[in-house]
Amino acid sequence: MSELGRAALLVTLGLSVYALVAGVAAARLGRRRLALSAQNALLAAFVSTAVASAVLLAALLRHDFSFTYVARTTSEELPTAYTISAFWGGQEGSLLLWLLVLTGFGAAAVRLNRSWARDLVVWVVPVFAAVTVFFAFLVVAVASPFATQPAPPDGAGMTPSLQNPYMLAHPPLLYLGYVGLTVPFAFALGALLSGRTDERWLVATRRWTLVAWTALGVGQLLGAHWAYVEVGWGGYYAWDPVENAALMPWLAATAFLHSVMIQEKRGMLRIWNVLLVFLAFSLSLFGTFLTRSGVVNSIHAFTQSSIGPWFLAFIAVTVAVSVAVLLRRLPLLRSRARLESPLSREAAFLYNNLLLLALCLAILWGVVYPLLSEAVRGEAVVLGRSYYDFFLRAFGLPLLLLMGIGPLIAWRRASLASLATTFRWPTAFALATGAVLLALGAGSSLPGLVAYTFSAFVAATIVLEFARGTAARKALGATSWPGAFFSLIARNRRRYGGYVVHAAIVLLAVGIAGSSAFDSVGEATLRPGETLEVGRYALTYRSLDERQTANATELRALLSVRRGGRDLGTLEAGKNAYTVEQQVSNEVGIRSDRLTGEDLFVIAEQIDPDGTVSFRVFVKPLVNLIWLAGLVFVLGSLIALWPDAREQRRLAERATSLGLTTSR
Amino acid sequence: MARKASPARLVIALSVAAVLAVFLLYTSIAGGGNASVSPSELRGRSDPVQLAGLVVGPVTGDAHGDGLRFRLRDIGEKSGVTVPVRYTGSVPDLFKVGRHIVVDGRLRNGVFVAEPGSMITKCPSKYSPAQKAGTG
Amino acid sequence: MLAALLAAACVLLVALPFLKEPSPASDSLHELDEAERRRLERLEARDRALAALKELEFDHRTGTISDEDYRTLVGPLRREVAAALQALEADAGSPADGTAGEGRPSGGRTS
Repeated sequence: MSELGRAALLVTLGLSVYALVAGVAAARLGRRRLALSAQNALLAAFVSTAVASAVLLAALLRHDFSFTYVARTTSEELPTAYTISAFWGGQEGSLLLWLLVLTGFGAAAVRLNRSWARDLVVWVVPVFAAVTVFFAFLVVAVASPFATQPAPPDGAGMTPSLQNPYMLAHPPLLYLGYVGLTVPFAFALGALLSGRTDERWLVATRRWTLVAWTALGVGQLLGAHWAYVEVGWGGYYAWDPVENAALMPWLAATAFLHSVMIQEKRGMLRIWNVLLVFLAFSLSLFGTFLTRSGVVNSIHAFTQSSIGPWFLAFIAVTVAVSVAVLLRRLPLLRSRARLESPLSREAAFLYNNLLLLALCLAILWGVVYPLLSEAVRGEAVVLGRSYYDFFLRAFGLPLLLLMGIGPLIAWRRASLASLATTFRWPTAFALATGAVLLALGAGSSLPGLVAYTFSAFVAATIVLEFARGTAARKALGATSWPGAFFSLIARNRRRYGGYVVHAAIVLLAVGIAGSSAFDSVGEATLRPGETLEVGRYALTYRSLDERQTANATELRALLSVRRGGRDLGTLEAGKNAYTVEQQVSNEVGIRSDRLTGEDLFVIAEQIDPDGTVSFRVFVKPLVNLIWLAGLVFVLGSLIALWPDAREQRRLAERATSLGLTTSR
Repeated sequence: MARKASPARLVIALSVAAVLAVFLLYTSIAGGGNASVSPSELRGRSDPVQLAGLVVGPVTGDAHGDGLRFRLRDIGEKSGVTVPVRYTGSVPDLFKVGRHIVVDGRLRNGVFVAEPGSMITKCPSKYSPAQKAGTG
Repeated sequence: MLAALLAAACVLLVALPFLKEPSPASDSLHELDEAERRRLERLEARDRALAALKELEFDHRTGTISDEDYRTLVGPLRREVAAALQALEADAGSPADGTAGEGRPSGGRTS
């Protein structure tokens, strides 16, 4: 079976090389059938990659330990769901998943756009093929999932903390995001190569970018949630290089999504947009390089692997080629429209881009600094949490405020008088909220208070926009208020979907501010019967319980919880000792308050043989808003993504009037 | 015809300058981070550093009491210089003899005294994440 | 053997365009010529101007844009739309296509 897998991957490599060569030839010579053949090659590459993936999946499900990869990542009694997730649990399998998604997206993106953007697609195909060649080469020659060995009696098993539903979804979503960014990149580079100056590449890739960006965002939230409940140190983000590896391309993609709107409305920033999409794609490659090469100390680090140099070379080539093509086509990209005023929506979006990019680059600097300092000074200097927190506040807080200003400021030029009118009520509301919070004690953390105040401002602007829009639709003749509300959203999906996404970010900001700026922590070593008080909670350690399950011994300390005199029930925290894997994992106890979103977070740090337990307890206000934000985020994206029949019709008419859809 | 040097350009340039100023401000206040060293490089250094190495037994003491005591050796070495470490605070689950860990602190009287809760364990294989202690 | 079957199927898929049309009337890829490219840009300019006008009307109706700002901005925008439509007409050498019916500047369907 492994020969089939190896052969299938070899076929993929061959097909993608053909697609690259034939694609370039077809584009330069203008040969229709050759272009179609190259497109078909991309589709065939997806088919053969799918075959290879099926082989690996079957081997996993069969527990075929003659496959080195299967033996390394699973064991006999691993539950089926996690056996499947082992597909992407190791280096080789995850590269295969990347390749599968890549070929799938490539085939789909090309197919969907080939009728109305034929002359663009003919250049997109070779770009996609080039990226595919790289990843196919990796899985064929450098990190093959189909290496075999004499089958051992059982596999090595999966780390217990990975056997968790969040870890099922987290990597695939991230890959959808990373690979998804290849689509706008390929179309941008293809558009440049084709010498076209029209906006079709933007229109074609808009939804792809949005989906990739959403997947990347949700994937990160899932990872953060996993860190919170599984790893259980009391936090959800550690500014670890691998976490940053996903955050950086997401920030660049966020900047891209915004500046694309400016190009759409005013035809400006074309060079900037191309650069942004190149940056986002390069960062996603770079992030993957960081994760896999072990180059930076990280909690996800590999040992030095052979993958690293190849990735670095590919990134270098990608950047060099992209910049070279951009420079050659620079004259074509110059736009006539000018920025008319520093007080306009265009300017607001530019500031937004600037801040997002500044944050992205600050994080990038923090990640590569140890490498650079080691190369230059011979000593790796590591930048800690305080570095990242500083820049998150310095750039993130103004960004938050801008989120409320941008949507309401006029295009081209806004007068100060009109600004004063528009922002009167949101400002008043924000200041009032700030004053109230200050009175309630939020002054203990200035950044936290500022975050709350800005969030109130943005929330007010969003509510106002929905209210005014609904009122306007009602005045236009909608039958009822709910009817007006829904038709408002239906007719302006991108705009109001965007507002919902902004609302999600507000929830995220409030949740982060509450749980990091206003949290409390307490520690004590308790014997049964003793009590620890943290915040308004009183926890009494009652007893220690030991249980046996199929693969672990579970130790749980039982605590009873009271708050302000009221009994809130019990909570368990402890450790699991896994027999096969010979590892111990932390099992934290979390009590979430439904009303306030507050978490009582208990870690049983050390359990002594005599029943004495050292506890570490956090009170995290508003932390559950972060997870709620994830749901709202997806909702907003869905609204923005939803196909708009009217827009599709208009684009189709445009294409027909140019003779693009008739097959010639 | 639009004016050549529109005010908008100036504002953008100023904004970029402001961002750069923020960077400079940070580095002048906070300086750089901590150097990351291995046990063999630690000799004679008394400044706060991040020590990275392999755990060498025996492991004694109580991290929540007087301090967990063990030794650290250079990663990748079979023998050689070891540094005694005294650690208090949360101990990650993956901690054990032979594990690659990282801990902040400084050398005091020949013993590396760790910042409470600063230990991070690292795992050699992909997607086997280490447990992070303490720092929330 | 399965691998050989897979390879053969893929080769077939790749060769398909040549097999389906062994001797076509024209094998040249339809590229947009100069005139068509210009027309595409003008279509995009027209749609952009129309969308901007529509958005301005909407923002004005919801009260986001004040009456003054509206008065200042609507004139240039309407002129831009007119210019875009004119450019298209000149280009085509024929009346603007029916798809522009959506875009009469004065009090047309907005939102």
